[in-house]
Amino acid sequence: MTQASASSAKTTIEFNDKVVRQFMHASIIWGIVGMLVGVVVALQLNFHQLNLASWFSFGRLRPLHTNAVIFAFVGNMMFCGVYYSTQRLCKARMASDFLSSLHFWGWQFIIVCAAITLPLGLTRGQEYAELIWPINIMVAVIWVVFAINFFWTLARRNEPSLYVALWFYISTVITIAILYIVNHLSIPTSWTHSYTIFAGVQNGLVQWWYGHNAVAFFLTTPILGIMYYFLPKAAERPVYSYRLSIVHFWSLVFIYIWAGPHHLLNTALPKWLQMLGMFFSLMLWAPSWGGMLNGLLTLRGAWDKLRTDPVIKFFIAAITFYGMSTFEGPLLSIRAVNALSHYSDWTIGHVHSGALGWNGFMAAGLFYWLAPRLYGTKLYSQSWANFHFWIGTIGILIYVAAMWVSGIMQGLMLNATDAGGTALAYPNFIETLTSIRAMMGFRIVGGAMYLVGTILMGVNILMTVRSGKAINETREVVLLERGQKDTMTMKETFINDPISYMFGGLLLILGWLFLPPGADIASLICAGIFAALAVKKFSEGHSRWSRWYESLLTNWLPFSVLTFIAVALGGLIQIIPTVTVSQAKNIEDRIQQPYTPLELAGRDIYVSEGCYNCHSQMIRTMLPDVLRYGDYSRLGESIYDHPFQWGSKRTGPDLAREGDKYPHSWHFDHMMEPRSTSIGSNMPSYPHLYTEKFDQKTLPRKIAVMVQLGVPYPMMDATEIKTNAIEQGIKIVGELKTQGKDAQPDTKIIAVIAYLQKLGKFDVPKIEEKLQGTPAGIPFPVKPGLPDKFRTTSN
Amino acid sequence: MDPSKSINDNRPILREHVYDGIQEYDQKLPNWWLFTWYICIFWFVVAWVAYYQMGRGKSDVEKIDAAIAVVEASRAKALESVDDEKLWAMSKDPKVVAAGEATYKTTCVACHAPDLSGHIAGAKLPGLPLIDKEWKHGHNPTQLLSIVRKGAPDITKGMPPWEPQLGIARVIEVVAYVLSKHDKADAFTLAADSPLIGSSAPVPAPAVPKAGGS
Repeated sequence: MTQASASSAKTTIEFNDKVVRQFMHASIIWGIVGMLVGVVVALQLNFHQLNLASWFSFGRLRPLHTNAVIFAFVGNMMFCGVYYSTQRLCKARMASDFLSSLHFWGWQFIIVCAAITLPLGLTRGQEYAELIWPINIMVAVIWVVFAINFFWTLARRNEPSLYVALWFYISTVITIAILYIVNHLSIPTSWTHSYTIFAGVQNGLVQWWYGHNAVAFFLTTPILGIMYYFLPKAAERPVYSYRLSIVHFWSLVFIYIWAGPHHLLNTALPKWLQMLGMFFSLMLWAPSWGGMLNGLLTLRGAWDKLRTDPVIKFFIAAITFYGMSTFEGPLLSIRAVNALSHYSDWTIGHVHSGALGWNGFMAAGLFYWLAPRLYGTKLYSQSWANFHFWIGTIGILIYVAAMWVSGIMQGLMLNATDAGGTALAYPNFIETLTSIRAMMGFRIVGGAMYLVGTILMGVNILMTVRSGKAINETREVVLLERGQKDTMTMKETFINDPISYMFGGLLLILGWLFLPPGADIASLICAGIFAALAVKKFSEGHSRWSRWYESLLTNWLPFSVLTFIAVALGGLIQIIPTVTVSQAKNIEDRIQQPYTPLELAGRDIYVSEGCYNCHSQMIRTMLPDVLRYGDYSRLGESIYDHPFQWGSKRTGPDLAREGDKYPHSWHFDHMMEPRSTSIGSNMPSYPHLYTEKFDQKTLPRKIAVMVQLGVPYPMMDATEIKTNAIEQGIKIVGELKTQGKDAQPDTKIIAVIAYLQKLGKFDVPKIEEKLQGTPAGIPFPVKPGLPDKFRTTSN
Repeated sequence: MDPSKSINDNRPILREHVYDGIQEYDQKLPNWWLFTWYICIFWFVVAWVAYYQMGRGKSDVEKIDAAIAVVEASRAKALESVDDEKLWAMSKDPKVVAAGEATYKTTCVACHAPDLSGHIAGAKLPGLPLIDKEWKHGHNPTQLLSIVRKGAPDITKGMPPWEPQLGIARVIEVVAYVLSKHDKADAFTLAADSPLIGSSAPVPAPAVPKAGGS
């Protein structure tokens, strides 16, 4: 039912399917590379001898694996699906061939740069945000190129109304831009190194706001959009429910953003943020399942295709895995469950059921559906595709089941206590590692099976491509006349019942969360009354509400603005209080001592080698953590950490209080051959640290940046900084000598030892410092009270 | 189950608009789904009100501090009855010694060697020998116990405190195991670099800022 009228002009357009083909090929190639690196790092975890060189060690390759799978494999797949469906849903060719091309080649160039820099140890040291600052800028620029091309196409569309797939694409384009830019704000110290402007808890919050929502808006929303377009196409069935689309889209994009702090549960993170993180994750369960329901139920009446059509098989399995991992996510966000699961393989299993099941299988379904159409031919082999499906499914199940067993088992062992709960049942960390070795082996099997399936897909698509020839679809479309789309004014966008009730309700909820005692509960009661009013109003005039929404759908800019507001709110509310409120409230009577120049150099090596991939620096407020690693971590202890290194996985023990635990010689032996001091360890050896020199040249610049970021270094000129570093190195070398070890004071190992021996040392702030509230936060006119303020503990 | 074929009043609405061949039903939201969501939202409100508005529940810091206090009390209690005589007696108890040996084999061997010699294949390990008669930090069983519990006075010299990680019971067992290699009547000497030389004071407690649950 197009809006065609007799007077409408028609025209024939040719879609830009070339860029779709390019992205498809790139996705498959990078997918195979990324998964291969995944199998390699899984092998390295089990066989430490496979850490063959400094550039071929787990700590450096694991970021390569995650970045390749997320940004190269899923990224290219997403662009492929978005470019194909957007053109058809807009009945318009992509606005600019140049921008499409620039987007494609720019993105591939970024991937190549990442694949070179990460193994070289050039990293920012934050998960999924490891790429160095020049690459960050390229990513931001290319993303903006994509955004311009996309929104320009929307503006030139010949279909007045925006289909649900486009809603999800809009949210992706907007949100990733915000997340990426904010989380990568840094000050460069050289062409390949920078310090993030955030430190400690602020860095943690921003990082996981980004990290969690990279999952949401890079791995989920665009793929949901792809589901909404390609699944009904493949099944030839109408989508199950339009109103479910509306409810789950808006609730998903609004709630997802708040859930980031669930990566920091039971840590030193203020409790109000932990509670928001946990409960928004729980409230996210239903919106996520809304997408799953809309996908699965669309198949009603077409279930027979599940037996015959590999595309439907992949889509349905993918949506089922999506349902599984979005149920698992909220479960893992419950603080009590998280106490067991966090830092364990359970999390690894969780992300892989999402990445392999949801993303990987959606990609497979998409490519098997697209390739024949893009090349005007048939799929080369249905039976190969079926085989891919089965080997992939079994591979995922083996992988995920192994990680469940491994994660739960190790989690239980690490937290187990005896002697009436006063002593650890398994005091030796390595004992818990040894017990999961078999499961770590099964992971390799599962992952390798999945990789074989993906390679088969590559060959199948290649043969399909060779049997056909590239065709660009042409179509006759009716050109929209002025006034048939994009007519909504600012006033119509914001001044209406649905929006007023939404924002009014939200404001009252915020009042409940942040207002002082008395006012908060009043605000909650008002919110309840307000919600009841809104329900009444809606049931009286829901046709008016629906009409407003349908007219919103014919206006791309107002729709995008509202989406922007929905996704921006959660981040603003969680991050601004923590960043702007004077940090004194967040330091809990512990102030970190700034790192000496040598320690700072060591810390940069620690980050560069990717130690954070296996070692956390955050002792949680849990007795087993305290017994095993020492007194629980306080926020103040990481206020000068750019970037924070709280970590998210403990393949090895926590290092927050590693300083002074062992003599220098222990670390000296340990880094050369970890098994000499820790029998059964799977840690790589680091022989190159003993020969390579640490970077003295950039140290003055690094310290200057630190000072700029508010770290109270004493005045030192470049020579003093270098001398200071070498003098401390000589001191350590001297102590090593008495312990029978020979080393040079300017080698990396000395810097690393200096850093490790510093971990866990702090100052206690003096009374006057407490009163002055040092160090101050970023000046900001509004300073909302934090909920935790009203629950000061006795100490 | 195909909704389009059902002929009751709840027949789903098929929306007219077609997007590139795709149509949409406008089915009602499933009730179980809605109620799952309502329950999650309700839980959030209840939990927040209970914690922040009604002051129910303890903060994480209160909880962990209380748990640490319990552990410290239990340690103090375990140590009350421990003295030199008791430890020597334990070193003759095969059950205690076997338990101590098991802990030694997993925790201490890396530095002190399987045969307690502090050497492996002739090479010196970071740990001091525990079978000779020369002691750096004193030969009294309680002095030994103190070192294992709290670590060496100068922590940079090696021995970390093991009490938090192993628990007081295992520490006592390990000390009994080491003592089982000695006899009360042996003649012990102090090492030349012993911090105890020149002072008759007992081993001072190490000045460790991190009280790691101790």
